[in-house]
Amino acid sequence: MSFRKPSVLPGFGLTFGFTTFFLSVMVLLPLAALVLAAASMHWNEFLRVVSSPRALGSFRLSFGASALAASINAVFGFIIAWTLVRYEFPGRKLVDALIDMPFALPTAVSGIALTTVFARHGWIGRYLEPLGIEVAYTWLGVTLALTLISMPFAVRSLQPALIEVQRELEEAAETLGAGRFYTFRRIILPTVLPALLTGFTLSFARAVGEYGSVIFISGNLPMKTEITPLLIVIHLEQFDYRGAAALGVVMLLLSFVVLFTLNLLQAWGRRRQLQAAH
Amino acid sequence: MSITLEQVTKHYGGHAVVNDVSLEIGDGEFFVLLGPSGSGKSTLLRAIAGLIGVDHGTIAMHGRDVTRLAARKRGVGLVFQNYALFRHMTVADNIEFALRVRHVRGRVRRERRRELLRLVALEGMDDRFPAQLSGGQQQRVAVARALAHKPEVLLLDEPFGALDARIREELRRTIREVQRELGITTVLVTHDQEEAFAMADRIGIMNLGRLLEIGVPAELYSHPATRFVATFLGDANLILARRAADGIHVGAATLAAGDASAGAREQEVVAVVRPEDVEVAASRAELGSRFVAQGAVDELTFTGALERMRIELENGAALLAGADNGAVPHLQVTRTQHEQRGFVVHPGQSIAVGIRRMHVLPTPLSSFTACAPDEAQAEALTRAPLLTELAARMKTRIATRAEPQLGTGAPASVRTAAFVGATVIASGPQAARHAAWLLEAGASELLVLPAAAGTPQHVLVHSMDEAVRSATLAVSASVLRHVPAEAQYLRELHAGQSQGELAQQLARALAAVPEPMLILGITGLGGFAACCGALLEGGRWPVLIVHRPAGRTPA
Repeated sequence: MSFRKPSVLPGFGLTFGFTTFFLSVMVLLPLAALVLAAASMHWNEFLRVVSSPRALGSFRLSFGASALAASINAVFGFIIAWTLVRYEFPGRKLVDALIDMPFALPTAVSGIALTTVFARHGWIGRYLEPLGIEVAYTWLGVTLALTLISMPFAVRSLQPALIEVQRELEEAAETLGAGRFYTFRRIILPTVLPALLTGFTLSFARAVGEYGSVIFISGNLPMKTEITPLLIVIHLEQFDYRGAAALGVVMLLLSFVVLFTLNLLQAWGRRRQLQAAH
Repeated sequence: MSITLEQVTKHYGGHAVVNDVSLEIGDGEFFVLLGPSGSGKSTLLRAIAGLIGVDHGTIAMHGRDVTRLAARKRGVGLVFQNYALFRHMTVADNIEFALRVRHVRGRVRRERRRELLRLVALEGMDDRFPAQLSGGQQQRVAVARALAHKPEVLLLDEPFGALDARIREELRRTIREVQRELGITTVLVTHDQEEAFAMADRIGIMNLGRLLEIGVPAELYSHPATRFVATFLGDANLILARRAADGIHVGAATLAAGDASAGAREQEVVAVVRPEDVEVAASRAELGSRFVAQGAVDELTFTGALERMRIELENGAALLAGADNGAVPHLQVTRTQHEQRGFVVHPGQSIAVGIRRMHVLPTPLSSFTACAPDEAQAEALTRAPLLTELAARMKTRIATRAEPQLGTGAPASVRTAAFVGATVIASGPQAARHAAWLLEAGASELLVLPAAAGTPQHVLVHSMDEAVRSATLAVSASVLRHVPAEAQYLRELHAGQSQGELAQQLARALAAVPEPMLILGITGLGGFAACCGALLEGGRWPVLIVHRPAGRTPA
């Protein structure tokens, strides 16, 4: 691999320098500071903080609920994107614009709105309660909030990929005798899989880092509905900077492992597609 | 019969895209559906494939009704213009797709794949991906894939559209060879008449959702039944002629009526003259064929084997049915090298024009004449949107005729010049009186037109008398070939009713559908005003009256 390749934009040296500088100042430096703050702790103390039942519970909830939310978005985001791409219906542009709403709302507002609807006496909550389903102040509420705020990522990643899937491909499969499910599994899914993975990754990343919307609907019961970002804030409020940093480092590591794995998966998928194309 | 379509109709947004199509395709036949874009040919093909449902009519394959059967159970193979190959699969996987779906064993699959690749001349390409192949090769893979499950019918939707000329030629030959070898019934959709001629056993020509004519290529070319087919299959001069008892009068010539059934009624007809059937010479005496008119060479184009010529005829405006743009039409002529050497012409040169061969179309609506009490009103009427549209689609002209007597109420028995083609008047308070006067004076097709009338969506047809029935149907068929409307035959109305009741029923039927047009066949003028007065004067819909006075032989 060579650094220098002819391209339309001149000045590789300048742009590469800028890229390195920007990433360093904006991403690496703060992260390094975080790791450094945690590194000043004694190893035993670090372990005590990050392996306390409260911390472990929060990791489980943060990553579990985020994974669940990203999965839900992968499925329903696919359906939404499909509907928007494939069908012409009145108000389609409006629905399309609505997808981006969770981007624009302050997340705290989303949290308050969700709580209003799903609290015990809320619009929907009051009908769920007799069924024994509690949403607000449970892990279900956390998942719901994370699903809402990360949904646009899944839809927006899938839309361009679905536009690429010509209807004729499905028609060809149909005349060749394939049923709908077979066509979906063998034709549509392989074609949009990279985009689906991207959507999942972005959704997941967004959900893990979410704070504002969750704290309203979760109820913040330690061990039960307390997410890691909140726990970090609690440590900060008690002026326990090092404890907060320790939790932050663990989150950082876990997130990095998950995102890196997903990126590898995608790169592998792209390579396979490239092989298919050449 | 391999494929049988009966009265197949498909709507999109209230518009009939495929309109009442009936068709039979034989076993092993190569059938080509030919038409301009938007004619409904691809929609019809998709309906046969089962990819879209039909609103009305039935589709049968080998005697089995498949109208409601899903595409995957119909046993058809479909090839698309843009190949529609599965790009994430190899050529082998693409071809074997239909077999995998059917859980065919691996060894059998591989054997079938080898056989198909040999058939389309792509041996050894098994492991390539579609993106590694040229367009022509990709389409060959698509053909092989469509044949893998041994379908009973092969459907090709503009398969050569995305390929350049040389590849196209090659692939055409391959497909024809494969089709012959397998003896598979094939339907090809195309807008290219040369392609249709090259491949078809039979051609069906579609326009505006209707299947206009079906026939073997040579027969359709030499004996088209409609103006559209005559002009769509190659170039054609449409000439207005007069059919009389002694033959057909074209300009200065009188030609034998030929096979066209000669009626006793003298009438205007449309003759098709192919550019190669026109003869030019320095003078009338040197012509080998009948002299038609004197003309001047307007334009000369050399195209290799043939020389194309545009001739301005001396009485061209009267002789030639109009061009689309309303300008005075020219006569198109093509000559072979041999003919060119015999008689060299230059632009501007005056020449004698003769016709070697012509074909008379059995169309009842030859041309339009806008008629009004004065020239200005007649002129205004020629700009009515429906009239200009009909004339453009029928490739005919709109003449004007001032008839001062029309407004005065003077008796129509005063002999006037004959009314040829369809006469057009404006609807309005005077319309019924004008109509009665014109029918009395001998107009046999009379269109009463509201100034704002647009393209009709529904054409209601009714004949008052059995004697005028066939003439009414012939006129209706001619109109329906040129507007994308649905026909509705009002059979439930009976002659036993009083004229007033009948008029009310017609008005009700017209009010029940959007954008209607009425075609009404009548024999006598007794009670005409009572019946039709309100229909014509309301100005809400166009009414075409077909008048065949009792006692005369219906044409």
